[in-house]
Amino acid sequence: MVISPLRRKVLRDLRRLGAQALAIALVLAAGVATLILGNGALDALTETRARYYADSRFADVFADLTRAPIALIDEIELIDGVLQAEGRIVKVGLLDLPAMAEPGSVLFVSLPGEGGLNRLHLRRGRMPDPLSADEVVVSEGFADARGLGPGDRLPVLMNGQRRELRLTGTAFSPEFIYALGPGDIMPDPRRFGIVWMPRHGLESAFDLRGSVSSVVAKLVPGANEAAVIEKIDRLLAPYGGAGAEGREDQVSHAFLDAEIKQLGAMVKVLPPIFLLVAAMLVNMTLMRLVALEREQIGLLKAIGYGSRAIAMHYVEFVLAIALAGIAIGLVAGAWLGAGMAQMYARFFSFPFLVFSRDPQVYGLAAVVTLGAAVAGAVRAARSVVALPPAVAMTPPAPVAYRRNGGWLRRLLGLRQTGLMVARHLWRWPLRTGSSVLGIAMAVAILVASLWSFGSIEHMIHVTFGRSERHDAQIVFGDPLPASAAFDARTLPGVMVVEPFRAVTARLSHRNLSRKLTIIGKPPEPHLSRTVAPDLRPMAMPEAGLILSEALAEALDVRPGDLVEVEVLEGPRPVLVLPVSGLSVGYVGLSVAMDIGALNRIMREGAMISGVNLQLDPALQSDFYAAARETPRTGFVGVRELTVNRFRETLADNITIMVTVYVALAGIIAVGVVYNSARIALSEQGRELASLRVLGFTRSEVAGILYRELAAVVLIAQPLGWLIGYAIAQAMVAAFSSDLYRVSLVIGREVFAVASLAVLAAALVSAALIRGRINRLDMIEVLKTRE
Amino acid sequence: MRGPPARTGPVFRVKALSKTYRSGLLEVHALRCVDFEAAQGEFVVILGPSGSGKSTFLNIVGGLDRASSGEVWFKDHQLTAASEAELTRYRRDHVGFVFQFYNLVPSLTARENVQLVTEIAHNPMPVDDALALVGLSERRDHFPAQLSGGEQQRVAIARAIAKQPEVLLCDEPTGALDSRTGIRVLEALTEVNRAVGATTLVITHNAAIRDIADRVVRFADGRIAEESRNAARKTPAEVSW
Repeated sequence: MVISPLRRKVLRDLRRLGAQALAIALVLAAGVATLILGNGALDALTETRARYYADSRFADVFADLTRAPIALIDEIELIDGVLQAEGRIVKVGLLDLPAMAEPGSVLFVSLPGEGGLNRLHLRRGRMPDPLSADEVVVSEGFADARGLGPGDRLPVLMNGQRRELRLTGTAFSPEFIYALGPGDIMPDPRRFGIVWMPRHGLESAFDLRGSVSSVVAKLVPGANEAAVIEKIDRLLAPYGGAGAEGREDQVSHAFLDAEIKQLGAMVKVLPPIFLLVAAMLVNMTLMRLVALEREQIGLLKAIGYGSRAIAMHYVEFVLAIALAGIAIGLVAGAWLGAGMAQMYARFFSFPFLVFSRDPQVYGLAAVVTLGAAVAGAVRAARSVVALPPAVAMTPPAPVAYRRNGGWLRRLLGLRQTGLMVARHLWRWPLRTGSSVLGIAMAVAILVASLWSFGSIEHMIHVTFGRSERHDAQIVFGDPLPASAAFDARTLPGVMVVEPFRAVTARLSHRNLSRKLTIIGKPPEPHLSRTVAPDLRPMAMPEAGLILSEALAEALDVRPGDLVEVEVLEGPRPVLVLPVSGLSVGYVGLSVAMDIGALNRIMREGAMISGVNLQLDPALQSDFYAAARETPRTGFVGVRELTVNRFRETLADNITIMVTVYVALAGIIAVGVVYNSARIALSEQGRELASLRVLGFTRSEVAGILYRELAAVVLIAQPLGWLIGYAIAQAMVAAFSSDLYRVSLVIGREVFAVASLAVLAAALVSAALIRGRINRLDMIEVLKTRE
Repeated sequence: MRGPPARTGPVFRVKALSKTYRSGLLEVHALRCVDFEAAQGEFVVILGPSGSGKSTFLNIVGGLDRASSGEVWFKDHQLTAASEAELTRYRRDHVGFVFQFYNLVPSLTARENVQLVTEIAHNPMPVDDALALVGLSERRDHFPAQLSGGEQQRVAIARAIAKQPEVLLCDEPTGALDSRTGIRVLEALTEVNRAVGATTLVITHNAAIRDIADRVVRFADGRIAEESRNAARKTPAEVSW
């Protein structure tokens, strides 16, 4: 095969400019990798979820109720749009493991019937014998975390009764991909598991013979979900129906959705940054290469090569770099993608993970990257075409500089070498601007990833430091008379008791509505406080509601507005209440009011749903043991465990993400600084060598180049902070959902760390270029014109 | 400014200087056993065809290149034994260079190019005096791109002499200039040689320039082939080429 001379030149240019080409290729690779990783993970999650939902016949509508006869299911199936309905028993119970001091809970769910909904995917062992009273399957995550397997025993408290269940296997369920325990804000499989057992066992344990406490329904494709929900609600209302909800409000589904939304945001933000920076680098480098090879271009044109062929030659050079970048990016993306899939597998309970190596994603990444690289090459290629051969053959006219900014020079007290730096930067504003923007992007990526640590600490501080200050919370199985608070006071270690009432209700304003739990609190709560946006605790108003900002936004209300409250339990009163104030809150939507006012609305007397407690730390385990024994205890929440789990989970995930981001930002910073340095050196090599001849030392000469880089890097910092702040703001908006609200708290240390990391990368590049400065050939430079 | 040059003791002493390059498989003997001396304030013109070794000689004497063998002394400093840092120091404190392609910094004006050197010199002359000496006072705020070739070369000379160097080394200073401009540049050089008293070595292709020197050295094939002394120096204006 004969390689054309121009193509051979491409290969030699690549070898000669190897390090620069590699730096550009790496930035491109980062773009490709994030594109593949993001899209791959997005596809993996979406695909896996879709396939799993379909395989397991995941329900579309979910409704909890107190108890209803099983015959009601037939009526629900008759509703227009309902394909299939299934009645179940779903109840909370307590774990009674002797090796476990801290309280844990389980959710008992009756096994889906033959051909039923939300089918289990058996991972180990076998399904329970339908006739057995104590055989169960538990969720795989829980079994894993507790080291349980088929044949093991599981002591639990069901409806206050101690029972010992036998595990026959472990399973996954589409309903609990994200298995959140009661009162928790992060899944903690050590302290919360799902226990599936044949329904007759649950019927007898919870005294629900012939009844159901939960209904799930699958809809006909294209059915009107809202209409179905309304009809189901009407049917269930007499049986304590707490309001049916669609899939989008189902906890596990909603959390998965939030994750998918976040990934989607990442895919939109990161790859474009890398591709933009890479295009700028290609542009800078190629413009310089064309300037250096002016005479060669003239010669090629003079001997008869067409402008197009020569321009293509330079584009080919870029394409070669792009292909290298794509190859590296594809491998890195696939590798990181596999790692991310594992992270998901740990976090979400899927029986399988479809990590599709979708050729479309790879193809798209390749095409977009090639496009970015070629776009970067366009300006240089155009200048090649525009160069007339006769002009190209003569050396370029000396670069014309202008005097300006004399005041600035006097202000900075610049010496001549400083002036060289300033004028050189000023002479090519576009290129200087590109370098500044490139570095700024590196800083921005760091700011946009590092802020999350501070925000999470702020969130923890507000939620658990200012607001939920209790050590433990007991939630009763059913509301009890207020005197139950005195019983709680007698438990060992309890120092302060604060009761609360929780009532499920639907809040509506115009056409907006949300189903949630109204919490009734004492007028001046001490342990579970409602906190204003300025973080001051709020007193409960006599009649009105205090909405969290997120809820106020969701309902589009302001203090003073009226909202319709439709209580979904007990006597189900419907009334209109004023919004008395707004509170701050980051987890879920919340609404609080005076417990007395709430009880008056309910017309059931002074009832409480549970108590918040302050404990004597020395007696904590005694308390746990005693609380478990108390028959009325639905479950026990422990603040410390919740906070720890929250921190642990987020720290794990965020640390991984931040590591990836830091590496990516480093690639950008090194790529931009190194390329800028090489270009500056190539342009000013002659001047710098002349200075060496004049008696400037190597350090002084290197200093000139370094000052230029330093100026670019320093100017980029505030810009990077600004862009990073904007990206962080966009991320906050993208991440915020009804489940979570993220507060944008960026401390000074975030900016400092981002800048230091980028400065470190810049220093590495500076060190890489030092050898070339030392080797400047003083003699060569004197003999030749540029 | 210093008084008229007192011609005492050699500034340069070169003994058995050889330089061998290896270019690929080929060994190039650029200099073969050269002996040379120059007195203080002397104006020496070095002639010779391309590849005769004259530039290599100037580069070694100027501390830009290293000898393969032999000794080069600048006063009591042995340049052939000096470290890289000592050579930089030597160029910085004692040597002024003028080159064929001027090698000015394009981003600095004429005045600033001269200042570039005075900022790091021990005993510089006022920048404006240096520019006046080469007749460029009015053009001092122009950038190299705004100056003619002759003017650029005169800026280079002003830059070279502003530090009041003991030696002034010029490699083809008129090589890129037409004759009229060349004469202006040579006038600047002789004026500086007279005024500053720097020992001046000028390499040229142009044999006509020989008449303005105290002494003429002709290189051929890496050796000094011929040396002659002019009884009377002509002024550049009297020279024709």
